[in-house]
Amino acid sequence: MSRLRALLGLGLLVAGSRVPRIKSQTIACRSGPTWWGPQRLNSGGRWDSEVMASTVVKYLSQEEAQAVDQELFNEYQFSVDQLMELAGLSCATAIAKAYPPTSMSRSPPTVLVICGPGNNGGDGLVCARHLKLFGYEPTIYYPKRPNKPLFTALVTQCQKMDIPFLGEMPAEPMTIDELYELVVDAIFGFSFKGDVREPFHSILSVLKGLTVPIASIDIPSGAGIQKVGWGRLGPYPPDSCPHQV
Amino acid sequence: MSSAAGPDPSEAPEERHFLSTAEAAALERELLEDYRFGRQQLVELCGHASAVAVTKAFPLPALSRKQRTVLVVCGPEQNGAVGLVCARHLRVFYEPTIFYPTRSLDLLHRDLTTQCEKMDIPFLSYLPTEVQLINEAYGLVVDAVLGPGVEPGEVGGPCTRALATLKLLSIPLVSLDIPSGWDAETGSDSEDGLRPDVLVSLAAPKRCAGRFSGRHHFVAGRFVPDDVRRKFALRLPGYTGTDCVAAL
Repeated sequence: MSRLRALLGLGLLVAGSRVPRIKSQTIACRSGPTWWGPQRLNSGGRWDSEVMASTVVKYLSQEEAQAVDQELFNEYQFSVDQLMELAGLSCATAIAKAYPPTSMSRSPPTVLVICGPGNNGGDGLVCARHLKLFGYEPTIYYPKRPNKPLFTALVTQCQKMDIPFLGEMPAEPMTIDELYELVVDAIFGFSFKGDVREPFHSILSVLKGLTVPIASIDIPSGAGIQKVGWGRLGPYPPDSCPHQV
Repeated sequence: MSSAAGPDPSEAPEERHFLSTAEAAALERELLEDYRFGRQQLVELCGHASAVAVTKAFPLPALSRKQRTVLVVCGPEQNGAVGLVCARHLRVFYEPTIFYPTRSLDLLHRDLTTQCEKMDIPFLSYLPTEVQLINEAYGLVVDAVLGPGVEPGEVGGPCTRALATLKLLSIPLVSLDIPSGWDAETGSDSEDGLRPDVLVSLAAPKRCAGRFSGRHHFVAGRFVPDDVRRKFALRLPGYTGTDCVAAL
């Protein structure tokens, strides 16, 4: 379990021994200047076979991930608020470890956080707030907002902390590359099914063209659900780009 | 001191290191009402940060097996809820046991209790009055009994007796927010006042922290937005990297 945490680069005490691999918040980085140390997941090529052999990291299928969630809610009586706060905080921590502010060009480093219509988007809102506290300058794009108190409260927290919300998504990848040093994809999570509807289809197309790094919360949004299947979540070797929709 | 939020005019704005009880309540109200934080969110952030403070004060590699056993004593109010969250996070690396004799009926406390139970954290049904038994069984104790503004008399017999026992502790004691039994303003000892080795101030230090003389004082307030800190004219050391606690 502690090995898993080292792999995910989390500095947090998150889960307990009874909970099997709580909702692995994997960070999938498509490209970019960062390096991954030997105990981290390798984005530069194939899986490091030594890492794989020495560390049994189980990746969850969609059904398993949903089952973990259900157990946490029903048996452990966690609330969505609690888990979302822990998830968003741990993602911000992982991102800050992968892309420390001192390694970025701007001060404070600019980050675009794209939030989808469900819980993954909520994770992104929490993540953006903590990134601000860690010294980044996040901007949020949140086109489809559920009309539920949890999400409206998270939006208020971000607004009160002067985190801007974009009115529209930049249409050209180059615009994003110029304005932001990192993009956080908090669009779709593990419960995503079916076709990608607008505006997210267009958003994902734009993200495909980016040169700045993308950090995906939980799974790369829209990643080959039909093509690759759910046996393998998490970072993909760069030659099978996860952003094909 | 008026109950409205605002710094004490007798202190220079840049010099403030502590909040009065009324200001602490006003800060919390601002987070809950203006920022729309949920109480559950804040308790989770405080409890998690308290656990991180424990790991900083008592790093795991330096501890023997016995020293990893932690007794967390929880009162029935918000301080106790923070203690329950702290115990759950400590469970990952340490071996916490909880003494939570007077249980709150509110949903937050009940859910936090369930989470601890489901993670196999034992709950003691009684606390020995013989302090030597506690010294021998545990490596350290976390005091999450009384927060600011809660009178010792409000929490019931078992908590009061527990505090009397803890006053005689020889193993390290970590107090969350304020040492239970201290007057939050003056820091004067009540009969049940404790002498913790570590104090973890939640959000910002309370005035009584000025009289803390233990080894480590942490502030767990990374989650407090800058604007709120400025509004209460608090000057505190910066947080490093992604740390949620800072040593004062």
